Parts: sequence; C-alpha cells; structure tokens
Amino acid sequence: MTNGLVLAIIGAALAALLAGIGSAKGVSLVGEAAAGVVSVDPSKFSKVLLLELLPGTQGLYGLIAAMFILLRTGVLGSGAEALTVQQGLGFLAASLPIAVVGLISGIMQGRTAAAGVSITAKKPDHNGKAIIMAAMVETYAILALLISVLMILNIAV
Amino acid sequence: MNGTKYANAVGAVRAMETTLLSKSDIEQMINARSKAEISSISASKSGTAKPDDLNDVWAMLKEYAPECRELEILLYRNDFHNLKAVLKAVISNRDPEHYYISPSNVGLKELTDAVSTKDPSGLPEYMRKTASEAYELVTRTLDGQLSDSLIDRAALEAMQKSASSFGSEFMQRYAQLITACADIKTAYRCCLLGKSAQFMENAVCGSPELEKDALIKASLAGSEQLFSYLETTAYSDGAARLKESAAKFEKWCDDVLMELAESARMLAFGSEPLAAYFIAKEAEIKNLRILSVCKEFGADKETITERMRKLYV
Repeated sequence: MTNGLVLAIIGAALAALLAGIGSAKGVSLVGEAAAGVVSVDPSKFSKVLLLELLPGTQGLYGLIAAMFILLRTGVLGSGAEALTVQQGLGFLAASLPIAVVGLISGIMQGRTAAAGVSITAKKPDHNGKAIIMAAMVETYAILALLISVLMILNIAV
Repeated sequence: MNGTKYANAVGAVRAMETTLLSKSDIEQMINARSKAEISSISASKSGTAKPDDLNDVWAMLKEYAPECRELEILLYRNDFHNLKAVLKAVISNRDPEHYYISPSNVGLKELTDAVSTKDPSGLPEYMRKTASEAYELVTRTLDGQLSDSLIDRAALEAMQKSASSFGSEFMQRYAQLITACADIKTAYRCCLLGKSAQFMENAVCGSPELEKDALIKASLAGSEQLFSYLETTAYSDGAARLKESAAKFEKWCDDVLMELAESARMLAFGSEPLAAYFIAKEAEIKNLRILSVCKEFGADKETITERMRKLYV
C-alpha cells in the first residue's frame, strides 16, 4: 500500500467519521427534545420524528463521499491503485468539505430542529415551518457534499 | 452548547404549556354563571398530562430537569416561610404541619428536627445560619415579628446569593424582582407603622436596583419621600400602583414577574423555560383562586378582570 493510498483512505475515514459524529450529535439532541414532548403528549410522535430525522442526513453524505473515494481509489472493487502522495493528498483534501461541514451542520441542524420541536409541541399545525427552518441548514451540507464529490471525481488516477 | 442538556425538559414543558389557561379561557370563566361552568372550562384544557397544583408541577420539573439546583431558588421563599412556621410551632408546642407549605426544598421532618434539636446541620447551607439566629432571637426576645423579618430578609438574601453564584441571568433577575417587591412592601408598611431604623435595617434586604440604605432613609422620612425616592428608581411604575392601593401593587409585582417569564417563552434550551413554566402555573393558580373568591362574594366582572394577573399564554 502506497503512502498516497493511505492518505486517500484517511480522507474517506474522515468524511464518514466527522459527518457521522455531527449527525449523531444532532439526532440525539432532537431526540431528547422530542422524547420530552412525546412523554407528555404521545400523539405528537410522528410529527417530531420528522424533525429528528433531518440531522441524520449529514452522516449519509459522509458515507457517500467515503464510498466515492474508496471506489475511485479501487479499495472497493477492482484492486487498490498505487497512488502518489499528491493524489492521496488530493483525495484527503476532497473529503474535507463534507467532513467539516457535515460535523458542524449536523450539530447546528440538531439545535434548529430541537428548537422546532417546541413549535410542534405548542402549535402542531405549524410543524411544517419548523421542518423548513431546520431544512435550511441542510443546504450547506448538500453544497459541501457536491464540492467533495466533484473533487473526488476529477482527481486524475 | 449552553443549555442543550435541558432539551428533553424543555420539550416536555412546551407540551405542558398547551394546558395552561389562556386569556380567553379566563374571560370565559369570568363570564361563567356557575362553578360547574368554570370547572368545565378548566377541564377542557386538560391534556394528557396536566399538573393540577404546584406540587405536581414541581415534581414534573424535577423529573425532567437534569439539574435542579438553580430551579430550587424558586422554592426558597417557601423554605423560609416553613422555617418561620416550624419555629413558632415548636416554641408554642403546636403541630407545624398545618402551617407547612409545599412544594419546598426542605421536608417538614428535617425542619422540625433542626429546630427542636437546635442543630441546623441537616438543613441546606443557605438556611443554617438563619435558623440558628432566628431561634436565638425568638427565644431571647419572644418577639415573633422580629424573627419573622429576619427570616424574610434572609430568604431574599439567599435567593440573590444563590442566583448570582450558580443561577442564570433569568434567575438573577427573578431574585432581584422578588427582593425589590418585598423591600418596597416592607419599607411602605414600616413607614406607615412608624418603625425604627433599627427594625428596618433588620427587615430590608436591598438589591442592585434598590439600595437598602437609600430605601430606609426615604421610608424614615415619610411616605411622600418614599414615593419620591421610588420614582427615581426602576420601580417607579410599582410606586405609582402602590400609591393607588396595596392590591394594585401586588398585581403589579405579579405582572412584572410574568413579564420576566415571558422572556423565556422563545428560548429553546436552558433552565429558563422550566422556571418560566413554574411562574406561569403559580400565576394561573393565583388567578383561579382570586376568581373563585370574587365569584363567591358576587364581585362584578370589571372588578374581577381588574384583579386578574397577567398570563403566560
């Protein structure tokens, strides 16, 4: 295994790891708030569940980016490529947008969605507004994923 | 990430808030012709979990809050009231249970044991010194009023001290408002009764917005001077209500507390929404009590409306 390949694998690991941590933190925060509401009013379960799911997407984006790196470097599939250090660094750098933005946006989206749980608790008819507000944070995770994927696909191997 | 540890508790509180009485519910109750009609309006607000009294509210808050130390400040006044009650009951060989109010941070047995054995070590730190001093004072002077004023002042001091050492800005403001309202009432009563500077020194607590020495000085100079002084402070509105009547001032104090509670209505995290819910429930119970007494005595709708406290919802 070349040094370049090791760097690329570190990049894949970071994408899955950091974005996953962001999602886990976000989902757990919304889960806590949602559990508080459901413990008092179980009929609101389905409405708060939607909010809880939102911060989970960053982990998924991290997984997609990691899969692309592993496929492009041949770790998954035909056999690992002998990457140069420059190529490896390229994959590592490509993983950073979704890794960092995934971590931060996952946590922040969790906060927004947890605040939205209060809207659902008090005014269930306005649940959609809480979802929209939390979904706005998602935009930046999608942009980061897009950039990561574009970079991964365009590194010459 | 401040306050996110309260996410679960805030979620539960927000769901409970839907069972609080709203302005229109209170208006309907005022217009109700019978007790049954009032009860049916109240019952219509019942959700799946509607705490009926403050004991239930406190039990729920304690169950949900990851940490209660800060919220316990809300019950300091009850703790110190119970200290007064137990002290008098023990000295006069009566059963303190009838005078004990709850919810409270200190149980009746703990208090009774501490007072009857003259060993306050079993009490929370904020009460120990006061318990010893009050016992010594009341047994030495046999003056219940003197020990009461000592305990009342100690309660306010303890609230301010605890709020500034581990409380949020919300709790600090809460302690300051409670102290200022109590101090204004004390100063006004002392002024009317012609109490001495020494008595007032013992009874008035003081707070950052209402300086103790200035308040005592103004009160000793007469009610006009007291009102003139209050008009120069942040409590000028309260002074105007007090000039009109004590009942209006009481209502103003409750409304000011509710305005503070309202500031926590938009917060998604932290202990503030929990404290605000407690204050809101306290006001709701007070409103229902006033409403029931007014109806009992056949008060007209305008009088009842005038006496209703501000609501959270």
